[in-house]
Amino acid sequence: MELDELREKWAEHDRKLDQSLRLNRQLLREMYTRRAKFALWRLAAMLAAGVLFMLAVIVSLGRFIVLHWWTPRVSLPAIVLDLAAIAALAALVAQIGLAMTMDYSQPVAEIQKRLETLRKFRIRYTQAIIMTTTLACWPIFSVVIGGVLGLGIRWILINVAVGLAVPALVIWIFQKFAPRMSRQFLKELAGYNLNAASGFLTTLAEFEKDYSPQERSNIREYSPEE
Amino acid sequence: MTTDIQERFLNLMEDHKKILYKVCRSYCRNPGDRDDLAQEIIVQLWRSFAVFDERVRFSTWMYRIALNVAISFYRRESVRTRHVVPGSEHLLEATGETENRSEEVGTLYGWIEELDPLNKALVILYLDGNNYQETAAILGISETNVATKISRLKETLRQKKEVQQHGTR
Repeated sequence: MELDELREKWAEHDRKLDQSLRLNRQLLREMYTRRAKFALWRLAAMLAAGVLFMLAVIVSLGRFIVLHWWTPRVSLPAIVLDLAAIAALAALVAQIGLAMTMDYSQPVAEIQKRLETLRKFRIRYTQAIIMTTTLACWPIFSVVIGGVLGLGIRWILINVAVGLAVPALVIWIFQKFAPRMSRQFLKELAGYNLNAASGFLTTLAEFEKDYSPQERSNIREYSPEE
Repeated sequence: MTTDIQERFLNLMEDHKKILYKVCRSYCRNPGDRDDLAQEIIVQLWRSFAVFDERVRFSTWMYRIALNVAISFYRRESVRTRHVVPGSEHLLEATGETENRSEEVGTLYGWIEELDPLNKALVILYLDGNNYQETAAILGISETNVATKISRLKETLRQKKEVQQHGTR
């Protein structure tokens, strides 16, 4: 079937829709205000909870740094953790702020590009949090064990205990919860979604790209006056 | 005042419900997903309605929002029925020949389903009778690009038809 034939069929379909399509106004009226409020409330709640948590961490670490300023063995790791927490807070605020202010009435190519960039940013954020949590073990142990408990024989004993307990705990968590872990989350960790986002950005760039006169002339039927 | 705005919004939705139906039908095969997408589009339309620029045609504005939401929805892999309003009522209901999957309507949507989300948007706009200028404004690409892509799609369809004809001989 030719595209113009499809267009005629589509017009016919359109005429039939005029007679048969019914919009449930009552449902629409009840739904849109409630859901619009819920969507905004959910984003605002996420932002507030995240900001409050990160602020609490930043302030506590700041206080800890001041108290242990003259003990670099614990104050330096605390500074590293505090800087990481500040960066995480800034990234969180930026993500939610961008999502809340996204104007969907802008042209499709532009908004899809922004959405996909935001998606990549969110995936990288999740990956960064997971990676830095692993890397942050050393400063966390230094701060908690060195600053709170004091160094000594206990430090060695606790290290041994933690060294044995952590792998066992991780194996137990994966065995128990792996089937219930979100497929989306696992894909994000594996970098699959990042590849998908990058792929779609390439498709978008291709979609936006203007054809060269040579490419256009290769197309048999080119009719800009239509 | 709020009631006036709501009433105006409802009337505009009533006048342009076909856009909503066709976008949802083109991007979702499953009726449950269609309902969920329709709700997401309406929520986004309502959120943006307060800043709707009267200089822009309502249909252009609505196409942009509906297509942006539909493409994002299509690309998401999470469970899509979380927010469906419970019960048997649907937001949009088409009765009779339109919904009974008549061969022609089935072929039309079947062909659209095969396209990637961006070309789906282009085809919906073309089939709906938007000219190249309007289509370009909605999609954010140049008119020349729209014209070339449409020509390419025509060519692809023609080739497909030829292959099918050879196959049946």
